[in-house]
Amino acid sequence: TAGNKIFHFGACRVSMSTTEIRAGFTAIKANIQARDPIRTLSILSYPHSLHKVKSPDRCCITHHLFDFYVDKVFKHCKTEDSFVNRKISSIANSFLSMKRKLGQCQEQNQCLCGQESTEKLKQILANYEGLNVTSAAMKSLGELDILLDWME
Amino acid sequence: GEDAFLPAPQNISILSTNMKHFLTWTPVIVQGETVRYSVEFQGEYERVYANESWIPISECSLLTATVCDITGDISATVAYNLRVRAELGASRSQWGTLKGFFNRITTSLTPPVMKVVADGYHLLVELEDMGPAFQFRVLYWKKGQERRMQQKVVKEASSVVHLDTMEAGGDYCVKAQTYVEAINRSSSFSQTQCVRAQGDTSLW
Repeated sequence: TAGNKIFHFGACRVSMSTTEIRAGFTAIKANIQARDPIRTLSILSYPHSLHKVKSPDRCCITHHLFDFYVDKVFKHCKTEDSFVNRKISSIANSFLSMKRKLGQCQEQNQCLCGQESTEKLKQILANYEGLNVTSAAMKSLGELDILLDWME
Repeated sequence: GEDAFLPAPQNISILSTNMKHFLTWTPVIVQGETVRYSVEFQGEYERVYANESWIPISECSLLTATVCDITGDISATVAYNLRVRAELGASRSQWGTLKGFFNRITTSLTPPVMKVVADGYHLLVELEDMGPAFQFRVLYWKKGQERRMQQKVVKEASSVVHLDTMEAGGDYCVKAQTYVEAINRSSSFSQTQCVRAQGDTSLW
């Protein structure tokens, strides 16, 4: 079922469902990744995988990655394919729902950014800005499962 | 000839039941002509982050019917805008826009259809498959022992659910409600159904 999970972001716990995002992403993953010619680079995983992030930093990283996708990525992913555009809309609007839920952690002051998470986020932005905006956005969208796997 | 003036569709509304959402409107009448319609949606993301852009629903482009299934596109619990326009040849009407937003959290949830079966001493329930968004909360008890009511949460309505092993000749009752996690809401309970286990209660 579209089951909610309890996500543990350091001290903060949030009940969310990524099922609909995964379904939307799975439906367009091949299409999106086919638009990413540079397979040797990664936005989220270079030079270190997200999996090296310590628990206290999880909330900060997740919160800023949600902002990254909403503010920078989705708007540069418009395609000529109506089906793909509709799925991207579905994912983007689901991100807004999750962003709102994660906001609860911020209100409880449990989403503070340490040195390590700040560095990590800077690296992701540097990776992103190292490409032209459309390539960077498509690559980031194509790596959405990396983020979802890490979150879960 | 000169393109006909087309009025925008009126009485645009949403019918939303059990997480299935339909946009409907009253037809635009042009004598002797077939008027077609096109529907677009705009989520909160488009409104706030993507220059208030609108997204066409291809299944509802150049539609002759006056209803469009928007379920597939309303896939987040945020506020959506919806609009529809009439088209006849090269003529296009103004957009008719749904008054107010639509958020799937307002969908109406009906009690689940269920069938309670006494299979010998086994109390079983069959639940209607309402789609992946639905779970079921099933309550069951022995008649007269309402205070010892038990509960089972059923996450997939795919098959018959075994609730309990009954005492010979006992009467057992069941009721159920749906639960949709995506919107964190439940339906009201179904009608209670009671069955009797096989065997005779006066054996002792």
